[in-house]
Amino acid sequence: MSFLPEVALSEDFQPFAWFREDLGFIPNLLRAQSLLPRVIEAQAAFEKAVRLNQGAMSREQKERILLCVAADRRDVYCAGLARTALLLQGEPHHRIEGLAQDHTAIGLPAAEVALLDFCRKLASRAASVNLSDIARLRQFGVDDESIIEAVVITALGIYRCTLSVGLHPQPESEPWNLPAGTKVSATGAEGSARPPKGPYVRAPYLSPETFAPFATLMKSHGFIPNFFRAQTLLPDLLAAEAELSAAILLPEDPLARSQKESILLAVSAANLNSYCVAVHCNLLRGLGLPAEEGDQIAIDHHRSSLSEADKTLLDFAIKLGTRFSEFSLDDVDRLRAAGFSDAQILECEVVTALNNFANFLQAGLGIEHDFDPPLAFEQKKAHLTAVFARPTEQASPVSSAAADVEDPDAELTAHACAGNLEAFEELIRRHSRLVYRALTAILGNQDHAQDAMQDVMLSAYEHIAGFQSRSKFSTWLVSIARNKAIEYLRKRKNEVSLDESVFGEDQDFRPRELRDWVDNPEQAYSRQEIQQLIEKGIMALPAKYRTVVMLRDIEHLSIEEIARQLGLSVPAVKVRLLRGRLMLREWLTPHFAPGARRATQ
Amino acid sequence: MITCDEFFAEFGDYLDDRVSPEVRRELELHLSQCRACHVLYDSTCQTVKIVTDSGSFELPENVSESIIGQVMAKLRADQA
Repeated sequence: MSFLPEVALSEDFQPFAWFREDLGFIPNLLRAQSLLPRVIEAQAAFEKAVRLNQGAMSREQKERILLCVAADRRDVYCAGLARTALLLQGEPHHRIEGLAQDHTAIGLPAAEVALLDFCRKLASRAASVNLSDIARLRQFGVDDESIIEAVVITALGIYRCTLSVGLHPQPESEPWNLPAGTKVSATGAEGSARPPKGPYVRAPYLSPETFAPFATLMKSHGFIPNFFRAQTLLPDLLAAEAELSAAILLPEDPLARSQKESILLAVSAANLNSYCVAVHCNLLRGLGLPAEEGDQIAIDHHRSSLSEADKTLLDFAIKLGTRFSEFSLDDVDRLRAAGFSDAQILECEVVTALNNFANFLQAGLGIEHDFDPPLAFEQKKAHLTAVFARPTEQASPVSSAAADVEDPDAELTAHACAGNLEAFEELIRRHSRLVYRALTAILGNQDHAQDAMQDVMLSAYEHIAGFQSRSKFSTWLVSIARNKAIEYLRKRKNEVSLDESVFGEDQDFRPRELRDWVDNPEQAYSRQEIQQLIEKGIMALPAKYRTVVMLRDIEHLSIEEIARQLGLSVPAVKVRLLRGRLMLREWLTPHFAPGARRATQ
Repeated sequence: MITCDEFFAEFGDYLDDRVSPEVRRELELHLSQCRACHVLYDSTCQTVKIVTDSGSFELPENVSESIIGQVMAKLRADQA
């Protein structure tokens, strides 16, 4: 049974008739969306434009990409759908099995192997795709039209897989026992210097005067996003995408447009896609949402002023869009319990699938920004990508610029110094989490941290007249928190181990645990389990390491900022940060090594 | 090629993307050939990502509001 109820649609319903003609049956993935026939119509039209229209690539080549994308995601339903299509095209059974296992070993021409390398990399590690991957395709004689088609097909594969996770359709035939796939081979210059920016393919100019989809976009968006401009080499495909997105996003029912835009923003942010984050921040502003609200949704929607129900909706979409292997019927039931109808849940899933389509397509074509993404989002992303998905074009400039930005609190601080209580209240509200985390880090106890917060805030007010603006307000506030925490520990006669002089820096520390980790460790646990695990692990660190790790990896402060706040030298912060991260890694390894018991902490 | 000790000496800066392109090349060459360092690097990156993504040590909204409320009530009473 699918996760959502179906209503009977006539077998003559045009999209159904078309699929029956194409595949010999109506895919259950489509039937499972019968609550929203307009969505089925739009999808069918899009699939037709992408898969059937004779373009630069053959039908078989396109279905092979869809099969590889689904096989890599271990999506039995979508892999089965692509297998059926390939069988109908006359591809022998053993070659399809071979393709799912290792596309390099079934005698495909070198250019197609390179294309599949590229598509599999895009589908599994979109953030690491760069111009060198495109250069490699060109070396094999792959033209720009084929590159666009391959990227669109890969994105379609992701779209289908996202829907199949959310809807859980029954396979039409015997479920395919997918062979264990090969690791996606690393191609392109993964670890080289920063790549040049996109866009990666030629894009001839099309005028809104003569090209109708651009005129429509001008009306609905107020501008023509680079997302569409980058695909003008294939205008029919572009038109089909614009129609799909309009059919899904523009109606105000069953979900409101602003809810759909919030979903697109939150899931793009979870995918670390700056381009789409910037576009949807802008579109939400156009729908009347204050700019700060959009920024907050991108950084952490839980702290935005959306309703609790809408926050649940975004939790659902983010999980479906990015942590698909954890997704289950429980998630659907949670949305029902929050008051959403089945049609709204279905639309949320479709919007999430569309979002993933857009995120992967943008990454594959290196589409350039229309607007600047929010700075705070870029800081978080830079922090994550600096350590995780190097190289990225923005990581370094943003993180170093962020260290030198002017104090965003300067104006409020001036009012607070002049005795304005409202300004002071706003300041402490902005930084309450930072204070709490700094206190928790030093005290090693969340309850004590909550107790100490009042003292820190009162002390800040008492001394604010003496605040000289030589440092940022937040730096000053943390230094108060640090002093209060140390005072607190002294009263309890605890060891105070934050000073460099008390302990050496243990230069000889070397990790002992050298077991490999599983591929996607986060997916083995729920979000709550991960949080508890991390909190327990961080609390187990000695205070001097805990403080630095929390300020860097949870608060995303720069190393220089941490040095200022804690009154340490930059090299000392670096040593402690590495030590703390390595200790935490050691602590986590038993939970994330292959074969580790999946335990609730 | 550099040794594991040399790799380890640069490891912290490498994680935070603070090494020059020349050093980076050396480190990446080492990583491609040394399984132990590769495992260390990979799992440390995962650690940082998981910690960053986890949203741990969240201060519950109601707790935060109650603390701020108490502080402001006290300050307003003092002012009055």
